[in-house]
Amino acid sequence: MITVYCWLLCLYPGSSRDEFGDEMTSVFREARSALPPALAAKISFYLREFCGLLSGALCAHLDRLFGPVIPFRRFSMQRQFRFPRSTVFLMCVILASLVLAIHKAQNVVQMKEGLPPATATAWGPMLWGLLLALALILATAAAAAAWGVLFALRRTGMHRLDGMQTWEEHRWRGPTKPGNSFRP
Amino acid sequence: MDTSALTEPVLLLLLSLAEQPRHGYSILKDVESMSGGRVLLSTGTLYGALQRLLDHGWIERIVEDNTPRDRRTYRLTSRGRRNLQVEIERMRHLTKLAALRIARKEA
Repeated sequence: MITVYCWLLCLYPGSSRDEFGDEMTSVFREARSALPPALAAKISFYLREFCGLLSGALCAHLDRLFGPVIPFRRFSMQRQFRFPRSTVFLMCVILASLVLAIHKAQNVVQMKEGLPPATATAWGPMLWGLLLALALILATAAAAAAWGVLFALRRTGMHRLDGMQTWEEHRWRGPTKPGNSFRP
Repeated sequence: MDTSALTEPVLLLLLSLAEQPRHGYSILKDVESMSGGRVLLSTGTLYGALQRLLDHGWIERIVEDNTPRDRRTYRLTSRGRRNLQVEIERMRHLTKLAALRIARKEA
């Protein structure tokens, strides 16, 4: 297992491996020697270690390429108006799946009728791509507009956060809004 | 100053080093013991966090001539200690607030 561990360490960037490789191997060896004899504990330990190494290597490479991408603080809530990017991504996936499903269905129908499938035409995929892009832009604009209207009407719940005092504000300025602030 | 919360493994790691300087395996066991066996760090996670904390200047290595390369000791810097105190203060505020809200609801 030590050999497998050392192989997996090779996935780390050279600088990290040089800096921490020996220490990590030593800690792994110590932790392994202190394992209880139960098989389940051993399996759980090796799984945790190997998954930790894989994710650690990935994070180290990402850190090296793009700077610190994995923060050690939790993600904090944002008070300002932001349209969630995950929604746009999900909309893309759903629309793409829909378009592909329609396209496949048309092909099946045409093949049953003895006609050549729609993909045979050169401009077909391009047309679908353009339609998809247009639909995405329209859907994003509509969703952003709807979110903007709700935000303007103060119906999103985001404004409630404005009335909240953070512990830092409370500590330095004292409670300013009795309804929302903490009073010991 | 960034006042968002620390992740639990990082908080436990800092608490472990707050008491005394420790080496990797000692941190691993101390975190496990502090969390009652709930937080089990892998070496990959531990050294990923140590590297980020070193980069941010929250912890430092104790350089000693006779220390073997595979058993280096880490300690909290004054910056790390200050940030840890800020985090503990934030949590204290949160627990007081929670107690107050629960008491209000029960009353």
